[in-house]
Amino acid sequence: MSERPESYESAVERLEQIIDRLDSGQAGLRETLDLCREGRELVTYCASELDAVGEGLQELRLDELAAKLEQPTPSGQSRGE
Amino acid sequence: MGSEQISIAATDGDAGPKLPGPFGVGRYAKTLRDELRKRARVRLIGEVTGLRHTPKQTYFELRDAEGAVPCTIWADELERLELPEGALRDGAEFVAAGGPDYFIGSAVSSPGFSFRVTHLRLAGEGDLLARLDALRKQLRAEGLFELQKQLTRPRLPKTLGVVTAESGAARRDLLAGLRRRGWAGTVIWAFAPVQDRRAAPSITASIQELAARPEVEAIVITRGGGSLADLWAFCDETLCRTVAMLRVPVISAIGHERDSTLIDDVAAIACSTPTHAAEAAVPLDCVGARRGLERCAASLLRAGEGAVGARTRHLAALARGPARALKRERVALNQKTREIRASAERGLGERTAFQRRIALVVLDRAVRRAAGAEARSRREALRRAEVALRAHEPERTLERGYALAEDAAGEPVTSAADAIAAGRVRLRFADGGVGANIEANGGEG
Repeated sequence: MSERPESYESAVERLEQIIDRLDSGQAGLRETLDLCREGRELVTYCASELDAVGEGLQELRLDELAAKLEQPTPSGQSRGE
Repeated sequence: MGSEQISIAATDGDAGPKLPGPFGVGRYAKTLRDELRKRARVRLIGEVTGLRHTPKQTYFELRDAEGAVPCTIWADELERLELPEGALRDGAEFVAAGGPDYFIGSAVSSPGFSFRVTHLRLAGEGDLLARLDALRKQLRAEGLFELQKQLTRPRLPKTLGVVTAESGAARRDLLAGLRRRGWAGTVIWAFAPVQDRRAAPSITASIQELAARPEVEAIVITRGGGSLADLWAFCDETLCRTVAMLRVPVISAIGHERDSTLIDDVAAIACSTPTHAAEAAVPLDCVGARRGLERCAASLLRAGEGAVGARTRHLAALARGPARALKRERVALNQKTREIRASAERGLGERTAFQRRIALVVLDRAVRRAAGAEARSRREALRRAEVALRAHEPERTLERGYALAEDAAGEPVTSAADAIAAGRVRLRFADGGVGANIEANGGEG
């Protein structure tokens, strides 16, 4: 991918622009091939973003996360001991 | 120190030794108390804190986000009010009527200001709404309602922070809503006592902690329905100011009635139910998005293949073009040849006819010319024949004096015998004829 999209939203927006341009039939061969390649990269990116929120909901507790942060590191413990 | 009148009215002048007094402090305290008691009696609304009972009086403070006032009420007055058992407690919202007072103290007791309460009642919905309305106006005037709404909410967040009760139905409904969206990212739960009207500080702290985590892209605050008093924690000024200032979008789903709590006003978006909050937190329907993505991929494939295919066909057509053009030209050439031939034949015929006509004219003229010469020749010959003929005409002989004998039929009588036989002849002279009877021997004699 020539440039990674900033977000899923920007990727989808660009993808819609590409589809519109291709559907217009005004793109030449070189532009069409370039747009198709860019579009396929965006589709891959969007699919990976969807996969990232599609592999099983993970539930964390803020208090536990905070407790982990507050725990002294093993090295710190050894120094303390 | 003397009988000089004490005035606690505002005075101008030196801040030092030239001020009135010095007065006895007890006298001043009494004067101060008397002046304060002249102040307007009002009603205050706030949350009861520091409740303390003594045999004579009950002490407490009324607080809100902006400040507090120490209050006292005589025990007997409190008893006459017949408040519900346990109603007057810390954290309860009360309306107190009374006025400022000052306990002057004594040699053994400390003085102090208090709001002398003469009537006390639990704050009702109307009181809360009035406070809420005033606070809402204030926050709106400060522009705090718009800050969250200007934030960009991600359509597909990977991590959500949620503030709710651990065992509440709101948690279950929110999760169900997220699953219906096809979303299965990470939820960080910040469980807080959202049913407690004094939970605002705890909720505020949870929100701040969630917002401090960089992976959290949106925060949902939710709890089930209840009265305004039940939801009062979500009208807390500090909580609402905190939410307004966050750079992470906050989605509120408090109770079932929109706009009943102040946090709904300051949040990026207010939802009526946890299910609605799930949709607002993850605006993208992941299931639909996957289908849409598949359509996009197919569309791109079609466009790519179509562009190449169409151009390939076009090129193939172009490649066949020269032969086709040659054939077309050949056909056209043949056609032209036929046309030229036909035209030439037509032209030749016309020219032949024309030449024929010319030849005829020429011939005619030649004939005419030839005919003229022949005629002249013939006329000459004829003239010569005529001359010759005229030389032999009987009239010419007659003119020379001869006579022509003719019988009755006009036939020439050329012998004597014929004349005798005719008996009578006609003698034609040059100047006319005469009859003559023939006599035998008449001439010889």
